[in-house]
Amino acid sequence: MRSPRLPVLIVLLAIVAAGTWYSLSHRAARNGETIAVYYTRQNGTTLGDVRVSMRPRQPGESAAEHLHNTALYAAVEAVAGPPNDVPAIRFPPGTRVLGVSVDGSTVTVDLSKDVERQAGGTFGENGEFKALVYTVTGIPGVDAVSVTVDGARLETLPGGHLELDQPLHRSDW
Amino acid sequence: MINRCIARTGSRAAFALLAVAPFAFASPALADASINAVYQQQTIRFTHLSSAYGAPAIGVADPGFTKLLKATGALLTWKPGERYVLITTSAPVVVSFALGDRRYDVGPITLQAAFAPFARGVEAYLPLDDVLRSLDLALRRDGAAFVLQPQLAGLDVRQDGSRTTLLAHGAAPLHPRVVRESDGVVTYAFDGVGTTLTGTRQINAGGVRSVQIETSGTVRDPRTLVTVTLAPGAVAEAPREEERDVALAFDGVAPAAPVVAEESPTPEPVPSAQASSGPTLVTGVAMQPSDDGVSVAIAIAGNASYEWHRLRDPDNRFWVDIDGAQLQGPPLDEGAPPPLTALRVRQSDPTTVRIALTLAGSKAVSVEPSATGLEIIVGAQDVADAPRSGGGSVGSVVSEGQPNPVLVTPAPLQPGVPGSSADSTWKFGTRSNYVPTNPRLIVLDPGHGGSDRGTIHGGVAEADLTLDMAKRLRDILIARGWEVKMTRDTDVDVYAPGDSARDELQARVDVANKAGARLFVSIHANAFINSGPYGTTCYVSKPEDVAFARIVEAQLAADGTKDDGIVKSHLYVTLHTRMPAVLVETAFLSNPSDYALLTSAAWRQKVAQEIADGIGQYTREYPVPNQPAQ
Repeated sequence: MRSPRLPVLIVLLAIVAAGTWYSLSHRAARNGETIAVYYTRQNGTTLGDVRVSMRPRQPGESAAEHLHNTALYAAVEAVAGPPNDVPAIRFPPGTRVLGVSVDGSTVTVDLSKDVERQAGGTFGENGEFKALVYTVTGIPGVDAVSVTVDGARLETLPGGHLELDQPLHRSDW
Repeated sequence: MINRCIARTGSRAAFALLAVAPFAFASPALADASINAVYQQQTIRFTHLSSAYGAPAIGVADPGFTKLLKATGALLTWKPGERYVLITTSAPVVVSFALGDRRYDVGPITLQAAFAPFARGVEAYLPLDDVLRSLDLALRRDGAAFVLQPQLAGLDVRQDGSRTTLLAHGAAPLHPRVVRESDGVVTYAFDGVGTTLTGTRQINAGGVRSVQIETSGTVRDPRTLVTVTLAPGAVAEAPREEERDVALAFDGVAPAAPVVAEESPTPEPVPSAQASSGPTLVTGVAMQPSDDGVSVAIAIAGNASYEWHRLRDPDNRFWVDIDGAQLQGPPLDEGAPPPLTALRVRQSDPTTVRIALTLAGSKAVSVEPSATGLEIIVGAQDVADAPRSGGGSVGSVVSEGQPNPVLVTPAPLQPGVPGSSADSTWKFGTRSNYVPTNPRLIVLDPGHGGSDRGTIHGGVAEADLTLDMAKRLRDILIARGWEVKMTRDTDVDVYAPGDSARDELQARVDVANKAGARLFVSIHANAFINSGPYGTTCYVSKPEDVAFARIVEAQLAADGTKDDGIVKSHLYVTLHTRMPAVLVETAFLSNPSDYALLTSAAWRQKVAQEIADGIGQYTREYPVPNQPAQ
């Protein structure tokens, strides 16, 4: 007669695996965890970073909502840039994050039209988006950033140089 | 260099403070009322007011709140249904609130608000006092009226050898003037600015003995006086404005004395009505992680004695009892970064405040008085036979009910982070097998043109400069036997006037791809929002661009401005052209010396010559089979 132990063992392993998955996927950020907010130095190429606190997942906040909220926070931090006394390439004054959405591993960051007020040249545009992409893709599970402006997808900024109608990755720099 | 903060509130406190409690400057009762408040000569009407736990709350959709944010240069990120409410101050610092969570984050620091933000209908309500403090403002009553008073929010000490700099920061642009300078004492007046930082602090660093902060004037026309007592022989420099800060620098002649822990002398009378002596208060606790562990700064207002104890491994608990002290605000129970696991602050009995740490092992711990209270340093390394107890006393002078200064060391900026454009770290897709159908053809792309002028400085448009340089390059290449096609040879849009940027850029790419060109060179002039950056940069996007760009860059290295090297980026024209391509940002129109070069015909000719030389060298080193190089 076939032993009943094997099905029981399989069921137990499945329960353990499901529990482990649930635990890991719902793990809240602990106090003291931080996000690296990158900025592009004024040599136009290298990145610096400042670390900011990351809010732990709150009661009633699903893993998906927490990822959304963390991405929003990271994007706002990246667009704000480091304190003014740190020389950095910065988004045009007034540029705001209007919202973010998460689709799989891609975060779409919706920027205000102020971002179109570029100084001209590749320098600022390249440094701004490099910092944004590096910051947001620093969130576990995120590997690409799409950009919209005032809710609309743009191929490039007006008079701009960077291609923006495709998701941007760290490997683009 | 030694950096520390002798006084700080507001958004910049963000870099240091994990407040145990909201600071206790009294806000008027505002619950469910509308008020008018004067800010910088304009009246702002707040109508979405509420309260929670006796503290005022402001609705984020309040038109007055919107007006205030705009007036201070702050930005709000929030939509109905969102849990997070984010305010970017003009510093800029991001202040992160979340509905239902009393914790709020300011940069690397976590603070406790007066209450958890809440939603009423679709509107989020924030603790007004905490929001105003983030903006370096304070709400003051002036008779029946209210005034939003800009605050001197911070006064940092930076010591570098015998030189000491006091860095003042506040809500409004600070323009201090010297109102007294004699007998080793300098007094600066900050007009139009109030502060809660009144009191006297002993510095004893470089050329500075002590700093006294006082307030005078009226609620509507406040004035903050900062009196610096110098060490013998020290010299004060003129105030120097740096971004939003003002630097007060002093050169001392004697070596710096120990920085902290010197007992304060009897304070001079303070004219502010806010200032008086009071009970010893524990007003804040700040945690600052570092590579070597964690520093915990305890802000103490007044004089106190303390005792510390620790338990043996494996029960790695450590606590400091501050005797005769009151905890300002509610107790705190937080997780903490390694090598700590938890931090607790509470009033353990009516006269003792206990700060308890749970250590992740038998870690080295030191407890030392600081300029602002106590500092506990927990090292990352395990130690054997660590002392089990100790004690001492601290003394500082601050005003009753005022936020006490806290030792500040902003999170270090790390130089070696990813993303540096060393080409050894670049990642590319697969190299294409492009073979030019016209290997004698070079396509030149003068950036911008027609309806798109590019960047404009001093009446000089990028579109005109790029066309001029491309024509010069064209003539040189033709003289050397190349065929040259220009994406434009007059001041026009390549696709159509007023077209989209993508159509315009794709049209330029099409010129090269359809012609089967050997190489593509896009010529531009760079710009930035300030005049600092300068130099020549070659941008690439594809693996086959790199060798070409490296040779062109080497030729341009002697063009008279800085060589900023090769940068990989996601640029449209270099990404979508099939042949080796480079986008040359020749120089910065926004930089005076680069501007002088760009507006020089001789320099533009030189650049054209160098790019042509680069094209020649590349085609010799990377020949197309059966095709001659020029």
